[in-house]
Amino acid sequence: MRCRPPVHARSHLSRSIGHVVIVGGGSAGWLTAAILAAEHGPAASGELRITLLESPDVPTIGVGEGTWPTMRDTLRRIGVSETQFLRRCDAVFKQGSQFVGWVDGGASDRYYHPFVLPQRHFDADLPAAWAAREDAVPFAMLASFQPSLCEAGRAPKQAATPEFAAVANYAYHLDAAKLGAFLREHCTQRLGVRHVSDHMVGVEAHEHGDIAAVRTRDNGDLHGDLFIDCTGLRSLLLGGHYGIGSVCRKDVLFNDRALAVQVPHDDPAAPIACQTVSTAQRNGWVWDIGLSARRGVGHVYSSAHTSDEDAEVALRAYIAQSGGPRAEDIASPLKIAIEPGYRERFWHRNCVAVGLSSGFIEPLEASSLVLVELAAAAIADTLPADRAAMDLVAHRFNALFTYRWERVIDFLKLHYVLTQRSDSDYWRDHRCPETVPERLREQLTLWRHRAPSRYDLTHGEEIFPSASYHYILYGMGFRPQTPVLRAAAREAAEDGFREAAALARKMLQALPSHRELIDHIRTRDLPRI
Amino acid sequence: MPRHAQLNNVDHRDLRVVVERGVTWGDAVMSALTFPAEFRDVQSRYPIVFQKAADGSLQPVALFGFEAGENLFLDARGWESGYVPMSIERQPFLIGLSADGAPMVHIDLEHPRVGTDEGTPLFRPHGGTSEYLEYISGVLQTLHDGLRETPTFVEALLRHDLLESFVLDLELDDGAQHRLAGYYTVHEERLAQLDAAALASLHRDGHLQSIYMLVASLSQFRDLIDRARKRRAAAA
Repeated sequence: MRCRPPVHARSHLSRSIGHVVIVGGGSAGWLTAAILAAEHGPAASGELRITLLESPDVPTIGVGEGTWPTMRDTLRRIGVSETQFLRRCDAVFKQGSQFVGWVDGGASDRYYHPFVLPQRHFDADLPAAWAAREDAVPFAMLASFQPSLCEAGRAPKQAATPEFAAVANYAYHLDAAKLGAFLREHCTQRLGVRHVSDHMVGVEAHEHGDIAAVRTRDNGDLHGDLFIDCTGLRSLLLGGHYGIGSVCRKDVLFNDRALAVQVPHDDPAAPIACQTVSTAQRNGWVWDIGLSARRGVGHVYSSAHTSDEDAEVALRAYIAQSGGPRAEDIASPLKIAIEPGYRERFWHRNCVAVGLSSGFIEPLEASSLVLVELAAAAIADTLPADRAAMDLVAHRFNALFTYRWERVIDFLKLHYVLTQRSDSDYWRDHRCPETVPERLREQLTLWRHRAPSRYDLTHGEEIFPSASYHYILYGMGFRPQTPVLRAAAREAAEDGFREAAALARKMLQALPSHRELIDHIRTRDLPRI
Repeated sequence: MPRHAQLNNVDHRDLRVVVERGVTWGDAVMSALTFPAEFRDVQSRYPIVFQKAADGSLQPVALFGFEAGENLFLDARGWESGYVPMSIERQPFLIGLSADGAPMVHIDLEHPRVGTDEGTPLFRPHGGTSEYLEYISGVLQTLHDGLRETPTFVEALLRHDLLESFVLDLELDDGAQHRLAGYYTVHEERLAQLDAAALASLHRDGHLQSIYMLVASLSQFRDLIDRARKRRAAAA
């Protein structure tokens, strides 16, 4: 007897994907809604209906404040104006990160990870030439003009530069809560997304296991074909309903707590920082993100190595030392617990997690928002036509994003494993081989003799390209033992260094200060072309 | 360094202004601001394109050459063309605001055209304004009113997505490649695809004619390139 699938299951597989229900707002929910709607919704002459269920009660995290340059393309793709975005989300320009005190905690221990690639990165062996030099110029300062711009407080473009265009590659520092509200408005008013402001009270499942609908308190059941879990750390659908567990990575990246505050600027005309400053502490590190009217400052630390009270003391000491108000004048910090890690599976049946519901690690390289962008783009670009295709799409999505999370973890660990600090167990523990992922250990062995290259990072679209590895490796003082460069190779690299210096000189002349440009944009629009 | 002063018939009674066109008098410029109401006169001789000011705003300019300081209409005999744009004609004068905010004629005392020996007098012997100065007042007023229309016009172009950046690569006979870049022009494909509602709105607001004048002006690039070739051949 031939085995035929029951009629019910056959029709379930041929069901097309016509209605996507996103559960949860915030930057993850609304960015995902925007990206899907811009690609498949009525504004793009598409047929996909998108509904977002956002609870009016549940507060969003509100500390995710740095982006990557990809956010410029994302915002352009969804059709917002950069001028409006900058004004409404209190956003300023970010040109990279600066790591202070990670190598040995000495007075001159600071290095940049800028967004601009090293000059001639693909044509010349800059690391070998840098290592062979006698002087002590830090790698990033030599290889790129961008650190000079950051040191001089210059904006990465001019008033006349069109929206989203750059003179120097840049991203944003912003108020994440305001980003959510701004995107909600754009989604509902311009992209045809339906907003249901209500609380989820339950999940209705199909017999075969897919989610049929989410139950709301006052708006009935929201039926859909695909459900996107943007419910944050609680992961109500993927974690709560389906019970998908997480792969814990606390053994590699120890930090599992954060304390965050807002620190107002004393002087409204104070310079605005051009980069995220990440300052190492005894048992963690402090982020310092400058916006126009205030700084977002937070201490990320390991509860296994220090107490919440000591962590708060360290945070207040940092604030005082960095020119902030006295400890008594700061509000109580917001405390967040994070289990570093990611879901075993991100897409299960007809439910996929985006944002904190898919995983979380410390914001050392501001990876949280970019992972949202990448996940939403992947869903939009590979949206299955019907349920039959979905399992295969889900399987590939899971493989891709597992790879991406693992590479993020490798890359963050790279900031720690090369430290020379030994002022606490925390730093000593970070050097223990058992805490280093095997792939990273192997790569470090290879990197002793040649720089990270496309042979080490083999995916078509790596989340961190080889240039980023160069900036961290050599910023942490790792000196490769490469064979002596031939004269021609040395010349090619030195040309790159000279080019970086020449570009720095030119741009320092031509670019306004960061504060000047941000103040200008308050009242004057950036040109559209 | 310009030195602007509000014109009056006491301090400036003896001033004269040279009206001939020439390099000595500061006319060797590559472009000059123009405005929608002037497009009709400008387009028959010069290409009109948009350039960006330092604050990002777009301004229409008439082009006279391909490099800074190159005016291909200027030679030893003067400015070879029937029409000279008003933003050139008005020099060395400009409109400034008096102490109580009224627009008044000002003069740049440092301008090479300005002196007491050569040129056309500004005031009559008994202090009245000369015909020349009356003419200049008219030019300044028209220019002032005309430039005020530019932002509205540019806004309409941007709203309908009718501007695009362009680059002109020239191979002149000296073999070298010349590139004209940093300018913007009408996006003719999008112009051709405008729907009835958009066309009606542009027409109603008086922009449609200006847009087609801009498109027509681009034919003047042919003449400009010929002039550039001739000048280089003559210099060789």
